[in-house]
Amino acid sequence: MDGEPVPCDAPSSINAVLGGRAVRAAVVGVGYIGHHHIAALQALKGVEVAVCDQSPARAESTAERFRLGHCFTDLGQMLSDYRPEVVHVTTPPMSHVPLALAALQAGAHVFVEKPIAPCMEQWRRLRDRAVSCGRWVVEDHNYRFNSPVREVLRRVGTGQFGQVMHVDLLFCSSILAPGSGFADPNMEHPTLHLPGGAIGDFLPHLAYLATLFVGPHLTVRTAWSKHASDSPFPHDEMRALVRAKHGTAALAFSAHSQPDAFWLRVYGTKMTANVNLFESRLTFDRVRAGPRPLTPLLNGLAEARAVRRATVRSLVNKLAGGPGVYGGLWELVRQFYTNLQSGQAPPISLQDIDDANRLVADLTAEENRV
Amino acid sequence: MRALVTGASGFLGRAVVQELLRRGHTVRAMIRPAADLGSLPRSASLEIFQGDLRTHPSLREALTGVDTVFHLAAVVAGSYDAQFAGTVVGTERLLAALATSETRRLILASTLSVYDWSAARYDLTEETPIVARLYERDDYAVTKVWQERLVRRAAASSGWSLTVLRPGYIWGPGKEWVAGAGIRIGRWLIVNGPLRWLPLTHVDNCAHCFVSVAEHPAAEGQTFNVVDQDHVRAWRFAGDYLRYSGQEGCRIPVPDSFCLATAWTAFLASRVLLGPRRKLPGLLIPLRYQARFKSLRFPCDKLRRLVGWVPPLPYVECLHRVFNHRSMAQASGGVLTPVRTNG
Repeated sequence: MDGEPVPCDAPSSINAVLGGRAVRAAVVGVGYIGHHHIAALQALKGVEVAVCDQSPARAESTAERFRLGHCFTDLGQMLSDYRPEVVHVTTPPMSHVPLALAALQAGAHVFVEKPIAPCMEQWRRLRDRAVSCGRWVVEDHNYRFNSPVREVLRRVGTGQFGQVMHVDLLFCSSILAPGSGFADPNMEHPTLHLPGGAIGDFLPHLAYLATLFVGPHLTVRTAWSKHASDSPFPHDEMRALVRAKHGTAALAFSAHSQPDAFWLRVYGTKMTANVNLFESRLTFDRVRAGPRPLTPLLNGLAEARAVRRATVRSLVNKLAGGPGVYGGLWELVRQFYTNLQSGQAPPISLQDIDDANRLVADLTAEENRV
Repeated sequence: MRALVTGASGFLGRAVVQELLRRGHTVRAMIRPAADLGSLPRSASLEIFQGDLRTHPSLREALTGVDTVFHLAAVVAGSYDAQFAGTVVGTERLLAALATSETRRLILASTLSVYDWSAARYDLTEETPIVARLYERDDYAVTKVWQERLVRRAAASSGWSLTVLRPGYIWGPGKEWVAGAGIRIGRWLIVNGPLRWLPLTHVDNCAHCFVSVAEHPAAEGQTFNVVDQDHVRAWRFAGDYLRYSGQEGCRIPVPDSFCLATAWTAFLASRVLLGPRRKLPGLLIPLRYQARFKSLRFPCDKLRRLVGWVPPLPYVECLHRVFNHRSMAQASGGVLTPVRTNG
């Protein structure tokens, strides 16, 4: 795949490809996250889904579970026989780039799970290939499309936050707990080969949300540490301070802090937002008109109401079998296909992916550690 | 017999290895790299093969010189993905290696969970259909059904013979409680359907059955349910558990019909209120509730008829083995029922 760009085996116009019939999508790698991609695709009208997995049983059982008409165990055969317009790459991270390149070569757009590539060099190679093919490449930045994040963005856009000064992101995940696939003593988890080890699998979330609110980063300082000496990970805690174009960001990953949560706090000159992205719990503190001593009281009452509403909504959503924490993925997939069919730009630009991956690279760079 | 036992350090695997050695067979015990070697007996007839079915680069080595495989390895906890990888993908890889080996026999440890319990009227037997609405069942049932499917397909196109054993609730030392006996909430044991028979099989009885079946030519190509023949009701089991385990608690009997009606009510109401994609706790999904608690009988006539197998340990001795003699003696005021020895 290296060297001079090779013309893609693809029709020249997206709209000509679609022509009013069902879009052919394929999901390559049908483990945990692959199932969520299929569910998101099945929530759309006019999308036909095929699956491809090295394990025949996994491919067949997934096709049976989701009532899909096509399943494959060989990528080349899937690309040539099924001729998908979009390929979702949901395999372990180290295989993302070669599979995405093969899909681009076959003329498909690619929707790749995070982290899209293990390093900037491979990401640039994939990006350049997509550009030369005239095809889309999108990295899954799912939390960016979660409804609380979209609500914060809406308020930022309408000026309610004033100027965004700082963003705090803390990802707490018990990846060392017994039963966690990350710490399986019998099988090395594929993310251990990423820069930053298992934490590298979570860094894209921190990076794309930070750049979303404070822009591309300028400088980074990190502190990595290991608290569990018997774990297979090189590190299990990470803290970072980021100076960015429009503000600052404090990013953290913790394998020890409990309970599991993904906290986003956005600080503006007029308003602060606080979100637990695992529960869609969103509260705001804002500067209020009237007597200053009443502001904490009114903010507290508003927060209590919001937490109560969010707790009930979260429970109902779970019971209703909705996408849950993957609501952002469903929305991103919906926008991807809607934009594709209407000829608009992809919901995540190459620049967005570039900025996020550049930050991930700097978060894991040795020279940025304190 | 030169046997390979996958999942040899597991609850049933350890007992099967011991029973094989006791009967003079040569055993290769396949255990995961991080498994506790100390849990296996020491014997000149026992060889340890460390490897994970999901990843080992050459499973063919494990099968060299083996004539019978006891395939017990499965992942029964964790996410669906983890269970599928451990149980189904691992089996897929083992079958690929088996296709090029000289192994003649495969004994598969399946489960009563693969049956459609809602279709059974009075008895759950080998004739009961396999679950039809598979993906409405829990992850364990889905992965075990897939494991059986793969093995049956491979057996149909290979030179080795297959015997599928479907044990009921396997219990024993270290696994004193079984999920089908009731619902534990703190110190309360809700015994729903207290008169239900439990499909119990003590781990030593179960291992005895596995080896007996492997030794018997009439078992080739057959499927058997494995359940001890002492008819133990849920109420009695829960009482014995509380009495001998030393745990403080109290049994609460609840009619089975009331629980099932509650599950149906919640199931139908949630469909109206939350839509068809709703997700409910397993106990409120009638299909899953029935697969755990339906009141049925569990005859083992086929095993007795074809193989002549009867469980060697009666329930009382199983209790002795599960809860040590001392605690039982204390609990029963020093009076113990005589114990029959294995064999």
